[in-house]
Amino acid sequence: MQACEAAKYNMADYWNIVPGMENALKECFSRAAEAEVTLEFVIPEKDFNNAGKGSSEVKNLLKRLGVDSEVLRRIAVASYEAEINVAAHSIGGKMTSLIYDDMIHIKFEDSGPGIGDIAQAMVPGYSTADDLVREFGFGAGLGLPNIQRNSDALHISSEAGEPTLVEFLIFFA
Amino acid sequence: MSDTKYTHAIQILEDNCTGCTACVRVCPTEAIRVRDRKATIDPNRCIDCGNCVTVCQFHAIIPSSDPLDIIHNFKYKVAIVSSSYFGQFTEDISYSVAKQAIKELGFDEVAEEAMVTEFMIGIIRDYIRANREKRPILSSNCPAVVRLIQVKYPALLPNLFHQEAPMSILTRYLREKISAREKLADNEIGIFLIVPCVAHVTAVHQPEGAYKHLQDGAFSIGMIYGKVREIIKKLQNNPVEIDTYPQGLTWALSGVQAELVDSDDIRALSVNGVENVMDILSRVEDHYLDQYDYIVLRSCTNGCVGGCLNVENPFVAMSRIKKMIKEGESQDINVDDLEVLYEQGEFAVAPLTPRPIMELDKDIKNAIKKMKRINEFLTMLPGLNCSACGSPTCYALAEDIVLGKASIDDCVVLLKRHSKEGED
Repeated sequence: MQACEAAKYNMADYWNIVPGMENALKECFSRAAEAEVTLEFVIPEKDFNNAGKGSSEVKNLLKRLGVDSEVLRRIAVASYEAEINVAAHSIGGKMTSLIYDDMIHIKFEDSGPGIGDIAQAMVPGYSTADDLVREFGFGAGLGLPNIQRNSDALHISSEAGEPTLVEFLIFFA
Repeated sequence: MSDTKYTHAIQILEDNCTGCTACVRVCPTEAIRVRDRKATIDPNRCIDCGNCVTVCQFHAIIPSSDPLDIIHNFKYKVAIVSSSYFGQFTEDISYSVAKQAIKELGFDEVAEEAMVTEFMIGIIRDYIRANREKRPILSSNCPAVVRLIQVKYPALLPNLFHQEAPMSILTRYLREKISAREKLADNEIGIFLIVPCVAHVTAVHQPEGAYKHLQDGAFSIGMIYGKVREIIKKLQNNPVEIDTYPQGLTWALSGVQAELVDSDDIRALSVNGVENVMDILSRVEDHYLDQYDYIVLRSCTNGCVGGCLNVENPFVAMSRIKKMIKEGESQDINVDDLEVLYEQGEFAVAPLTPRPIMELDKDIKNAIKKMKRINEFLTMLPGLNCSACGSPTCYALAEDIVLGKASIDDCVVLLKRHSKEGED
């Protein structure tokens, strides 16, 4: 039996866990489970007409599962921000949503160019967005902080010149 | 499964239905299916937006409104006219003549939605200021929007403006006033609405939320239009003096209503057309539009002037109404009695209950099981979303199959592919 994909990583080192959620995560990772439903979505570079469709598809799917509306809002905000980040800052990437019966694990992988200073990117208001991005009304520097605020566990790995991986977990209850 | 708790003012005439699926594709809540080459509407999902009525070319989906004769069951007959009515005529026909024509249909008194527009703007502002924690407040006067929120965005129900709509407020007020003045019992007074859309007809027969005061019937603008035109021809030669309220006609126009509510401390947004409304509601759900205090939401293009029971194009009707507002003289309307009723809380409405249609199952584990099966069927289906099976999309067909309402054999494309393989 295969373990839950999020559990493959050493928990405390890998995940930036919201205090109080450690046990929920531990319990969740100890169960052998493959994602019940998986959803993939391609995010093209600077395609602001379609950016946001992936997260809205996830939201509609979770509505069908009867997920609580407040939890749904957190998932929608975190995934929307992450999706916009990929569209605005990377040369394109993809979004993978792994849905379990008690949580969702969403991964955003892009092909670069990477985040130079992750700690600085987490500061509300800090942004490297270019003029085109700002013209579309994005680039307020609230993307990563918003994702952190709305998720139960977050992992970001990136380096300048390398691809970026942003993934987070949100529990349904 | 289909407990018909909800009535609708839309009827399908089976004999006329060709099973073309045009209606299936325009329904915003995916309420229509074609099975055995006939369209059927799921009453739990239908929000009475009227898209299907507009798109049907075979007169198979028709609005049901009441026959005009029913007004004769009452001693004293009152018509309350939707503001959009006044945009339906050529410019040589004056506002007062159009209004007088309604009276000549057999009514003793004609009242207008426009009479209370200013009063409404006042109570909307009051409500917004008293409920800052619920921002944005969503307008509740379009019954199709209210139902849409009940079925697809139930988390937003607390954000609705919880006071009655203008025509409902007028009904409450006029019934009391007329019964005192004419010394008549309640059941001797008939109050009827002249409306631009099926959602309003349904609201009269199934009052809920912003439409709590029962009227005795609703007539569509389209239905009375022929008669009204004949009367107008006669009236144009001897016009009668009649009170009009041009400044209040703004109610029919979604954008102008928002401008009126907008003020130093209230930021308002106007949205119309059901697709736009859904997009906005989805963003309100995620708190992306919290910068607005009030959002005017109307299911039809440009607001009530776009109602499917009107006769004129919504843009032309809007332009005419704007002209009337510009050229008309503003009149003072005494709203003291209304203020008293408002202070007494007479216009407050009870919170609406959700009517969720989205959930596959009450239990999340079962819902996931169903979702997995839906995805399995989805990978088998061609993904063309052609609607030929009678469901709006391949996803909807997969869902129908899992819920036992359809079979994979309903897919015409697969059937053709299989028959070709059989030949090879």
